[in-house]
Amino acid sequence: MATLNAVALGPTSYRDGLRLQEALVRARVEGRERGERADWLLFPDHPPVLTVGRSARDLKLRVPEAALAERGLEVFDVARGGDITWHGPGQLVGYPICDLDSLGHDLHRFLRELEQVMLDLAARWNIEARRVAGRTGIWAGGDKLASIGVAVRRWVTYHGFALNVCPDLSDFELIDPCGLEGVRMTSMERLLGPGAPALSAVRNAAAESLAGRLGYVELQWVLAAEAWRKAEETPWPGARGDASGIEASNGLESPAA
Amino acid sequence: MAISIVVPQLGESVAEGTVSKWLKAVGDRVRKEEPLVEIQTDKINVEIPSPADGTLQSIVVPEGTTVLVGTEIGVLAGAGEAAAAPSAAAPATASAAAASAPARAAAAAPPAAPPSTYAPAATAAPPAAPPSRVAPAPAGNGDSTLGDGRNLSPAVRKIMREQNVSSAEIASIRGSGIAGRVTRDDLLDYLNRRGAAGPTGALAPGFASPLAPAIPTPAEPLPSFLRAAAAPAAGGPRTETVPFTKVRRLIAENMVKAKHTAAHTHCFDEADMSAIVALKKEWSPRLEAQGVKLTYMPFFIKAATLALKEYSWMNGMVSPQGDAMILKHYYNIGIAVGRDEKGLIVPNIKDCDRKNLAQIAAEVNDIAARARADRLKPDEIQDGTFSITNAGVYGATNSSPVINVPEVAIMGVHKIVERPVVKNGQIVIRPMMNASIGFDHRVVDGELAVKFLRRVCSLLEQPELLWFVA
Repeated sequence: MATLNAVALGPTSYRDGLRLQEALVRARVEGRERGERADWLLFPDHPPVLTVGRSARDLKLRVPEAALAERGLEVFDVARGGDITWHGPGQLVGYPICDLDSLGHDLHRFLRELEQVMLDLAARWNIEARRVAGRTGIWAGGDKLASIGVAVRRWVTYHGFALNVCPDLSDFELIDPCGLEGVRMTSMERLLGPGAPALSAVRNAAAESLAGRLGYVELQWVLAAEAWRKAEETPWPGARGDASGIEASNGLESPAA
Repeated sequence: MAISIVVPQLGESVAEGTVSKWLKAVGDRVRKEEPLVEIQTDKINVEIPSPADGTLQSIVVPEGTTVLVGTEIGVLAGAGEAAAAPSAAAPATASAAAASAPARAAAAAPPAAPPSTYAPAATAAPPAAPPSRVAPAPAGNGDSTLGDGRNLSPAVRKIMREQNVSSAEIASIRGSGIAGRVTRDDLLDYLNRRGAAGPTGALAPGFASPLAPAIPTPAEPLPSFLRAAAAPAAGGPRTETVPFTKVRRLIAENMVKAKHTAAHTHCFDEADMSAIVALKKEWSPRLEAQGVKLTYMPFFIKAATLALKEYSWMNGMVSPQGDAMILKHYYNIGIAVGRDEKGLIVPNIKDCDRKNLAQIAAEVNDIAARARADRLKPDEIQDGTFSITNAGVYGATNSSPVINVPEVAIMGVHKIVERPVVKNGQIVIRPMMNASIGFDHRVVDGELAVKFLRRVCSLLEQPELLWFVA
């Protein structure tokens, strides 16, 4: 096991975030053959956006689609597990780009470790949080505090987790989060009031916890430019480009073949 | 020239996956390594690349359907030279899919066509390989393909690096995986042979044991992991850390889970095996003539099944919530199969109440052999209702077995030993066997367990009773 490169990306459009993940997954797969051992943990600050994972059979909106556009919310159809969710300011979004070759090729174990990271963070700020059997994610006081949805390509993970630190939770009212009817989202801020931590503090703790849980020898914070440079030195795939399997779309149409 | 696309192994606890999205339509051409389909398990979505160049011939399992790991979900019509080997694997994976389908009858779609229609080469093919535990798809990488078109999994490549195995050597190994792939076990077997034959002492990661030279049983061949070749050389390290294999980790987790959830209790009885010994002696040659090796296990299975019908509370499981007993009105009897360093596995024989002794004997032969060769189908290790473990084959005269949770009881059978016993006031010598029952005291009271075990023993002592209670 090796180094985990943690990156605070700063403001990042969802589209750019996808592009970077895709490129780093490719770089990770290719690097594996050369014996590279460094994985990535990306923390983007996304503007408000809705994403729909592969569990979704239909769009679980509580409002007409037109209302989304009015609020400037783009919808992305993505190849992660799970259903619909919201990302935006005040939420800690983490994308682990991890080579499961070194982590035992066990998807469920990886999921459980991500959950454990979320539980570690909750516990650190004295929030009583727990798993709910059959519902991946973390729950506190009956409401959902963190969501998890992962994608895997060639045994390299992408997408990841979203922990509500201090977001405006009202956008969640537009959807049935995770496709679960009647689910209410909560946040550390709602649970802790003025005692809630800053996003950056939770980010630091998340990186430490994940590095520990997944057994990395070293956690290293690197600049966003470093991640982009790594992405750019990996040439784009030819035919399908960055659209393979996950394509941003204005609606929910499948990518053109 | 058809290549099966199956749900790959995605983790120890991952038994099934849902087809979340077909990225290609039937008739689409696809290149090797090009994303073909996505499978979701829990909240992870996995992209499965195409195993070869070709055309997507049929989609067997539609989007949104959940199927077991190893199930065929689609068929690729291969193109070019690599197609011959995969076609040999196609019928086997298809039959595995069909066999596992009943277990999920509601969920799994029937195969679009019988295997023979998309595997015309089947008759000419060598004995077909069942689905390998090594996933064909996500493992694929540029360097992972041999010149002859066989893929290598990351696990295999890791061992190759560690043990300095060349591609040429790998190419010489007859693979047992899908399309003749060399699996981890194939490679470890090969390394064991290479280690034994060659002077290099290069070893597979086995269980080196300093005890090996001290075991004074030259008559019986030592299991491979105890052979002297595995002992450290003089002056070598006195300890060695051997990472758990996947199977070992799974066993460890299951055992701890069993001990933490079930309220384990044991009781013991004994049976005079004279009648069974005589029956076995008489029937062994007859079954042998039909290619069936008769052991004592079929008698234990039959007696246990009959006793379970009478004491039905022993046959079932505790509900996942731990608040209800789920009685099973079928009798899938698990048998613990030891496999040296490969680790214990407990496949079960289905519907033992509807099979006669000869049928059960044949199935025991078959399932034990395939368990040792890692050739079990997924459904064969699922949905057991009761288990039997025979520690007697290794010489034990008694044991306190761990329940194969979520089942509620396990019977231990042991070595049959001639010893003096008192019958009708006379000391006589009889072939005696101790029997034990491990039960979950949450749901099974001692009274029930003792009565059940006594019933099994009396059925073994008086097998003619089988006529009257069967």
